[in-house]
Amino acid sequence: MKPVLDWIFERTGIDRVWEALMERHIPEAEGSVSWLYTLGSAAMFVFTVQAVTGALLAMNYVPSPDHAYDSVKFIGDKVILGGFIRGLHHWGASFMVVIVVLHFMRTYFMGAYKYPREGTWMVGIALLGVVIGFGFTGYLLPWDQKAYWATMVGTNIAGQTPFVGPIISKILKGGVDMGAATLTRFYAIHVLILPAIIGILIGAHLFLVVWHGISEPPQRAKPSDGQEKP
Amino acid sequence: MEHESPSGSGAEMTRRTFLTWVSGACAAAIGAVLSASGLAYFVSPAFRKDDEGWVDVGRLADLKAGAPLKLDYVERRKDAWATTEKRASVWLVKDGDKVTAFDPRCTHLGCPFRWDDAKKQFLCPCHAGVFAVDGKVVSGPPPRPLDRYSVKVEAGRLLVNSKPIRSEA
Repeated sequence: MKPVLDWIFERTGIDRVWEALMERHIPEAEGSVSWLYTLGSAAMFVFTVQAVTGALLAMNYVPSPDHAYDSVKFIGDKVILGGFIRGLHHWGASFMVVIVVLHFMRTYFMGAYKYPREGTWMVGIALLGVVIGFGFTGYLLPWDQKAYWATMVGTNIAGQTPFVGPIISKILKGGVDMGAATLTRFYAIHVLILPAIIGILIGAHLFLVVWHGISEPPQRAKPSDGQEKP
Repeated sequence: MEHESPSGSGAEMTRRTFLTWVSGACAAAIGAVLSASGLAYFVSPAFRKDDEGWVDVGRLADLKAGAPLKLDYVERRKDAWATTEKRASVWLVKDGDKVTAFDPRCTHLGCPFRWDDAKKQFLCPCHAGVFAVDGKVVSGPPPRPLDRYSVKVEAGRLLVNSKPIRSEA
């Protein structure tokens, strides 16, 4: 085993990447405060669950008004553990928003967004937007009453924007009325566009986290790391 | 919180090692449950029972011995979440208690044939194929007897499975 691993490590440098990622120094934090540092990893975990369950659900889902509801029902009725996988995706979506918002609050209230980590913060804000985009587009896909009317409300809110509202509403809905074009549009955004964007943003976010290191918990009368500009 | 190592070699297990193992075990358990569920979902088509395809085509009482009856019906086929409807028909022949169902297409080139009540034979209008009441070829170009459908009677209703059973030449 070792010669094989050495062969791979020598040619890829994966061992050093692993060291950089997993054996870096992290600030000391005690008690309940230390738990706040797990929120980013928790979001990453839920994201992984969402990606895997989402890929599985896409195997049986049809983004068309005449089959969307029935295909979702088929997943629950006819696919082994289909209801469970769909449940994971459903609850994972809510957890994702909750965890990401908690992560965001932790960063804000600990002042972890300050110099030199503004870039991480900005990418994080973009990630928050993408997560909400996932939630909004995914909500329509079951194509039941709740999905339909929630999206109706959402697109109508966008339609209230001064001057450009009607245009935004039409672009969102793929037409004047909600229907087949709205469903395919939301599906494409949900499974193609947003995953591509979130992949890039997560990569950038994680790179910046490793690059700058994790900020230490704020302490009275002591400047945080990186805040004393040379 | 020092633990004896389970191997009993006398080496002390540190708190850090213990917690590493515990969190590793939790992660492995969560990972195992999630991957097993995903795998079950992925392979579920291999274990799904498909609709067997029995269609109710009519009442047994309407079928008289010696008088083959052509019944038209609508076949609803479930294709996962989609349902397709197809107009179809079947020839039914009663002989005593036994009911036989024939594919309504001639085995020559697939034309629909009819029952000639005077000659007591099935006649195909396209190329003058003639079949006996038991489906055997009497004359004409058909290469083999009429194909059959599975048929069964349940509570006085005729059920047909329209997957043709090819007859031997």
